[in-house]
Formats: sequence, structure tokens, C-alpha cells
Amino acid sequence: MTESLRRHAPLLLSLAAGTALWEIAGRRASAAFLVPLSETLVRLWEIAASGQLWEQFVSSAALFLTGFALALAIGMPLGMLLARMRVLRVALEPYIMILYATPMVALIPFILSLMGFGFAPKALVVFLFAVFPVLYNTIEGARSIKPELIEVARSFRSSEWKLWCDVMVPYTLPFAMTGVRQAIGRGLVGMVAAEFFLSATGLGQLIMTAGQNFDTGGVFAAILVIGLIGVGLMRVGLMLEQRFARWRD
Amino acid sequence: MDAIASPSVPDVKGASGAGVRIRVRGLAKRYGALEVFRSIDLDVGDCEILSIVGPSGCGKTTLLRCIDGLIPVDEGEIWVNGTRVTQPIAGMAMVFQHFGLFPWKTVYGNVAYGLKMAGASKAEIAERVPHFIAMVGLKGFENAYPYQISGGMQQRCGLARALAVEPSVLLMDEPFAAVDAQTREILQFELLRIWEQRPTTMLFVTHSIEEAVLMGDRVIVLKGRPSSIAETIVVDLPRPRTRETLREPRFAALREHVWSTLLSEARRAEFEVGGGL
Repeated sequence: MTESLRRHAPLLLSLAAGTALWEIAGRRASAAFLVPLSETLVRLWEIAASGQLWEQFVSSAALFLTGFALALAIGMPLGMLLARMRVLRVALEPYIMILYATPMVALIPFILSLMGFGFAPKALVVFLFAVFPVLYNTIEGARSIKPELIEVARSFRSSEWKLWCDVMVPYTLPFAMTGVRQAIGRGLVGMVAAEFFLSATGLGQLIMTAGQNFDTGGVFAAILVIGLIGVGLMRVGLMLEQRFARWRD
Repeated sequence: MDAIASPSVPDVKGASGAGVRIRVRGLAKRYGALEVFRSIDLDVGDCEILSIVGPSGCGKTTLLRCIDGLIPVDEGEIWVNGTRVTQPIAGMAMVFQHFGLFPWKTVYGNVAYGLKMAGASKAEIAERVPHFIAMVGLKGFENAYPYQISGGMQQRCGLARALAVEPSVLLMDEPFAAVDAQTREILQFELLRIWEQRPTTMLFVTHSIEEAVLMGDRVIVLKGRPSSIAETIVVDLPRPRTRETLREPRFAALREHVWSTLLSEARRAEFEVGGGL
């Protein structure tokens, strides 16, 4: 008990200091810029009690999960395919590098003019934010596979399909999970960006509406929720990564 | 003791026509402009152990991979059990230098792998895997992952995986080169013991002259650039071979013979810049 307290002491102290700083700064600053943590939590409770928070959370979650699931479903298999087929990789790599390096926000006006304001273009934005870290890490991971393991599979007369099931996928998963963890953060940014710039829905709308009403507490309440979701998802991602990477020790 | 009197010495030797498991004719392999080996002719008999030695970069591992069907050849033909080899065929299994175990599979899963690929039923796998795990002395480690066991144990696992498919031809690619000296010696005699229980045709690639003589019924020496078979030495030591074998004057004489065949080449290779393959 005392041991775990000592281990976590720096974290707890830091959280306490941060909380205190927010509270003090919030009380001194103009309410148009910053409100204290206590007021933010009160606003959060009000928004939650009105049912608005849950409603917008569900809307955002649907958007995030759709785009994110697409990013995984396309990023991981495509990454492995590109690692296995040199010709394809050499041909597509420049586009992947360019798109990975491009700030995706810059593409939003283009997507808007192409697809309008619906759910699909917004999910596409989340997808574009999330897919490249997954794709990139999967390619790098799958390429690092020891040639000897591929030879073992071939020597035991594995079919290409079984080579994927027994060798490529289990080897690459931990690497892909590193990308998945990065993709969570980027996907959340994409989600809020889509909600801001395409049509205002979800947690993004909550921030926008509160901002327009000079409800600084509401703005911070929504940001706090998004931040906590991000931290929670990252933890899950890390746990999954470690679960799949046990053998990498 | 006379070699012929030993009951486990196979009476079919490589040179004779009948019972030939592996037949190689006029084999050549090139990587671009680099010629690895040329005009390799080999016959390996049923249950014969043929050792292949040569300096680093002589292409002995490449030759073994060609015979397994993993690498295409540029000239010549390979026949195993009467089948022309152009890709890996059933009835052959390879033991890899760096073990080639799947790190995400347990010892059990790794040993079962070859059987699974060969299309064995669940019942067959459940029956045979424990048998071969016990044969290589890994009983009790079925659920261990490769990173949890020593290098020697990992290669025991690699050996069990190859034996489990009951191959008539076993290809050994410097199987004990990656383990420490003591473990290496233990594994050599383990392998000899297993071979006595269940003799198979074996191609044994090694850079250790001692190991080549200890294991082989014959030793072929690869030399030159591109390399070719410089000499074939018949190892007329009785079987079963044990630690006693190492102390026999005949063993020492054979080892010296192989060494002198290799010597000039080894000197040259050592001082060559770049090393090669």
C-alpha cells in the first residue's frame, strides 16, 4: 500500500498541482477566457443532467468508431499486402508518405465540396486522420519479419493464405498496434475537426455552441470529456499492444 | 569393431543406384554475376548421413536450400524420393540454423506447425506432438514460449517440429552453430541417439569439421569460388557413435584428413577482403 503510494506520488502531486493551478488561474482570469475547474465541473454536471452530453457523445462515438474501424480494416491488411508485394509498395509508397505528412485539415474543404455535409464525409475525415499511422506502422512491422520464418513456412509447404494466418498476421499485430495507438489520438482530432468544419454535431457542436454563447465553462467541460476519452482509449490501445507483444521480450 | 558388423549401419550407400533418396546432377547457382557453386553431383542413400563442410561463404547453406526447393537453381536437377524438386515437397523437413521458431507460438504450437501444414487431423496432432516433444527431451515445456527457454531447448523444439512430420529426408542447416559449445556437444549426441532410434536420410551442413566427421557416413568438402565438391571422404567409423568415437585414432585421422583438404582454402578465405556471401 505505502509502496504503491510512493510509486504514484509524483503523478498524484502533479495532478494536484495542475488542478490547483487551473482553479487559481480560473478565479483570477476573465470568465471570457478561463473559468475555474470547479465551475467547469458544475457546467459538466448540468450538461450531463440535461441529457445533452450523452446524446452528443453517442453521435461523436458513432462517427469516431466508423472512421476508426475503416482505418483498421483497410490500413492493416493493405499494410501487410504492401510489405509482401514489393512492386505495389514501391508504386504506392510516395503517395502514402505525402498523405501521411499532409495536415489532413487541409483536405477538409475539398471533401466538403466533393461530398457535402453528411455523415459519410465526416467519417471519411476521421478515416483519413487515422489510417496513415496504422498503414505506416503495419508496413514497417511486416517488413521486419525475419526471412527465416517465411522460409520455415515455405519449407513446411504452407499455402499463401496459411502463411498470412500463421506468420504475417501474428508477427505484424504488435507493430500495427503501435500505429493503432497513434491513430486514436489523430482520429479524435479528425472527429472534432469534422464536427467543426463540416456540420456541427456531437461533442464538437457542444464546444461550438458553448463558445458562441460565451459559455466558457461549457467549452472546457466538452474539452475535458474529449481529453478523458482520448486518455482512456490510449490506455486500452497500450494494453492491447502489450497483450499482442508478450513474445517480443 | 568392424563398421559392417554394426547393425545400424545402412547397407545401402550413396554411390549405389538402388535406395537413393537424394540425387543431384550438375547443379549450379548464381546470384547475378556471382557464381555460388557449379557442377555439384550428389547421391545420398537411404538412411545415410551426408555431411557437407566448407569455409564460410562456400554456398553450403544455399545448396541445402536448393535441395529443399526454397531457392531455384540455374542449372542441373534435384531428385528426392524420385520426385523432381522445384519447390518444397512432402517427405522432407529442414532444421534451421537460427531455429526458425514462431515466437508467438508455444513449444507445443511450434512442434504442431509442420503437422498442421501437412494437413494432419486434430487427433493425429494431439497424439504425435507429445511423442516428439518427449523424444527431444522437452517434456514439461509444452506451454513455454521460445523466449522463455534456452537456445539449446529452442533447437530441440526445431528438431521435434521437423521429426514430427516423419520425413524420409532431414535437412540440417548448421543446426548447432547458434548454441554454446557444451550444449552443442550434448545436442550432437542427442541427435545421434534419435537417429539410431529412427534412422532417416540426412544432409548435415556444418562448418565444424569434427561435427561433420562425427555425424556423417560420408563428408563432402566444398571448395573454391565458385565452389564445387573438392573431395568426398568415407567415414568408416562404427555406429552407434558415442563420446567414445571422439577418442578413436581413426576419428582423429579422418578429422585431420578433412582439415588438410580444407586448409588451403580456409587460409585464403580468411585473408580475403569482404568475405563474400
